[in-house]
Amino acid sequence: MLLIHCPYCGEARSELEFAGAGEAHIARPENITEVSDEDFAQYFFMRTNPKGIHYERWRHIHGCGRFFNAVRDTVSDRFLKTYKTGEPKPDRAEFEGEGR
Amino acid sequence: MVEELVATRTTPLSGTYGGSGLARLVIAGDATRLSVRAGEEALGALSGALDIELPRAPLSASVTDGGYAFWLGPDEWLVINEHGEEMIPRLQGIEAPFSAVDVSHRNVAVTVVGPGAAAAINAACPQDLRPDRFPVGKVVRTVLGKAEIVLFRKEENTFRIECWRSFAPYVFGLLDQAAKDTAY
Amino acid sequence: MRKYSVFALAREAMRHHSGWEKHWTSPEPKSEYDVIIIGGGGHGMGAAYYLAKEHGITNIAVIEKGWIGGGNTGRNTTIVRSNYLYDESMDIYEHSLKLWEGLALDLNYNVMYSPRGVMMLSHNEHDRQTFKRHVHANRLYGIDNEWLTPEAAKEYCPPLDIAATARYPINGAALQRRAGTARHDAVVWGYGRAASDRGIHIIQNCEVKGIRRGPDGAVSGVETSKGFIGAKKIGVSASGHNSVVMAMADVSLPLESQPLQALVSEPLKPIFPCVVMSNTVHAYISQSDKGELVIGAGTDQYNSYSQTGGLQIVTHTLDAICELFPIFRRVKMMRQWGGITDNTPDRSPIQSITPVPGLFVNCGWGTGGFKATPGSAHLFAHLIAKGEPHKLAAGLTLDRYRTGRLIDEAAAAAVAH
Repeated sequence: MLLIHCPYCGEARSELEFAGAGEAHIARPENITEVSDEDFAQYFFMRTNPKGIHYERWRHIHGCGRFFNAVRDTVSDRFLKTYKTGEPKPDRAEFEGEGR
Repeated sequence: MVEELVATRTTPLSGTYGGSGLARLVIAGDATRLSVRAGEEALGALSGALDIELPRAPLSASVTDGGYAFWLGPDEWLVINEHGEEMIPRLQGIEAPFSAVDVSHRNVAVTVVGPGAAAAINAACPQDLRPDRFPVGKVVRTVLGKAEIVLFRKEENTFRIECWRSFAPYVFGLLDQAAKDTAY
Repeated sequence: MRKYSVFALAREAMRHHSGWEKHWTSPEPKSEYDVIIIGGGGHGMGAAYYLAKEHGITNIAVIEKGWIGGGNTGRNTTIVRSNYLYDESMDIYEHSLKLWEGLALDLNYNVMYSPRGVMMLSHNEHDRQTFKRHVHANRLYGIDNEWLTPEAAKEYCPPLDIAATARYPINGAALQRRAGTARHDAVVWGYGRAASDRGIHIIQNCEVKGIRRGPDGAVSGVETSKGFIGAKKIGVSASGHNSVVMAMADVSLPLESQPLQALVSEPLKPIFPCVVMSNTVHAYISQSDKGELVIGAGTDQYNSYSQTGGLQIVTHTLDAICELFPIFRRVKMMRQWGGITDNTPDRSPIQSITPVPGLFVNCGWGTGGFKATPGSAHLFAHLIAKGEPHKLAAGLTLDRYRTGRLIDEAAAAAVAH
């Protein structure tokens, strides 16, 4: 079970209180009715699914209710950082060599 | 003359008692409750109208005589009035946008009292309840077994647990068993 | 390859079993093959076998990062069934089930396919309607599936608690009698032995580090930990690592790799005659020939390549098992592990050509790949050999995410993952 630091509550909580919400920083196209089928498929279905550093969304559904973002290593499952929705995507160089 | 028919409100835990010598379970009395969602600009007016400060700090609570305001999220509070006073009418005329829903009957509260209270709650709740991590006055929304609860530490050995009424028998049963286990 | 038979067994019994051959050879890789299969699990090894058997292509290398069958082939709960809802799914899984029925004879290797029946429990009106819909859809399609009363379910699986006072009362069950289990390791070993016998190279402990492409964009081979190996056709069948391998050719896939856990109990005397699944409370269970109760849990909620998952997922499943089968409450669990499942948004697999000429992918089998092993391998071999999908796999292309022709089996899977 994971311990997840909620950036809104300001403390680590049990995974039991959270819902995983998939990859983060996928921006919905502004002109959604005009994008091609290929671009829509890319936006809507395709995922990076990396082995290593993964940017992902979580929701503290049984806590403060907020969505937030996290950087996690998918090999060790260790959280490298959590940050509030809307905050900039941290550079992956920040985490190189960490977490394994 | 037609007799007036009056429906009497009962809670799912009416008449229930349980717990153990180390962790007593007491069903809290009826109360009015408000689920409040609001942004920063409405907090002052709401606090004034409700006569209780809506706390800004995460995981904190305001307590008055018979009143509680629990921080649940950055824009969400649970306000409880144990005197049973209607709170919605007081909110007329507030300009800033907010939402307030009367959830008085949605929730049931159980108070766990005694030196074994934290151990009994921890049987099914993943919170770290050591006094330095979960001091008096802290409140969290969390889980107890499979049910969502709001957990408030009122005193060192007194916790108030708010849960939805349909979960109440489950929550109470779990706490009752855990309270008895802590007595051994 | 010496044929396995009762006579071979008798002969070896007379000489202290000294004459058994190795299942497959371990050659050094050549500089070039006609086809390279990346991933030495059941699907990849089987595809190599069918390429040789049915398409006459034997100059093949199967490249495996670890050891044969060490991925999801060795980590599943061995359930085989074909009672899916949609035509596209029924096509592939029924094709697979039919191959299972003759696989031991075909490979001259006992894959221990055991049609002991898979029973899916219905706990409420929604389940009942859903399963009856499945039963009817299956029967119209010529696939066996039948509806049982709770009493008939109890008769088929005596340890089941059907009391009306049970925590999860049962109002019926759907039973596919031809479904059952097979021995997970034996499948890939059988394919490996038969493939090696046809001259296919099985290269273990060899990690693919890159996919090389020519000036025309088509594949020309793979960079590996044992050097460059050339091939004009590459089939990728790397289960949880499909996204990683395909990223080497800049192909993005609609996959998320998530942990799926399973566990086994201490060995018991034979007590559990079939496979039982419950979608609503999330539990599935069978008994292996070694006597262990084999129990599958649900997927964890996050992407991971760790081959492990959260204990709360396992305990949730065990809670349900203990309610359904109170007699198992004091059984000790012996081992627990996780696999990496590659899940698609519509919970149906992908077998497809890709934007890169010569590169084929077999992925997205998610939590249900084992049962599909022979069928998937057979159809993937066809795709690689012909360059276009077999008609039974025509709906499984990557293109469906562009056209919107999804095969939304998420609601129809036996267990919600």
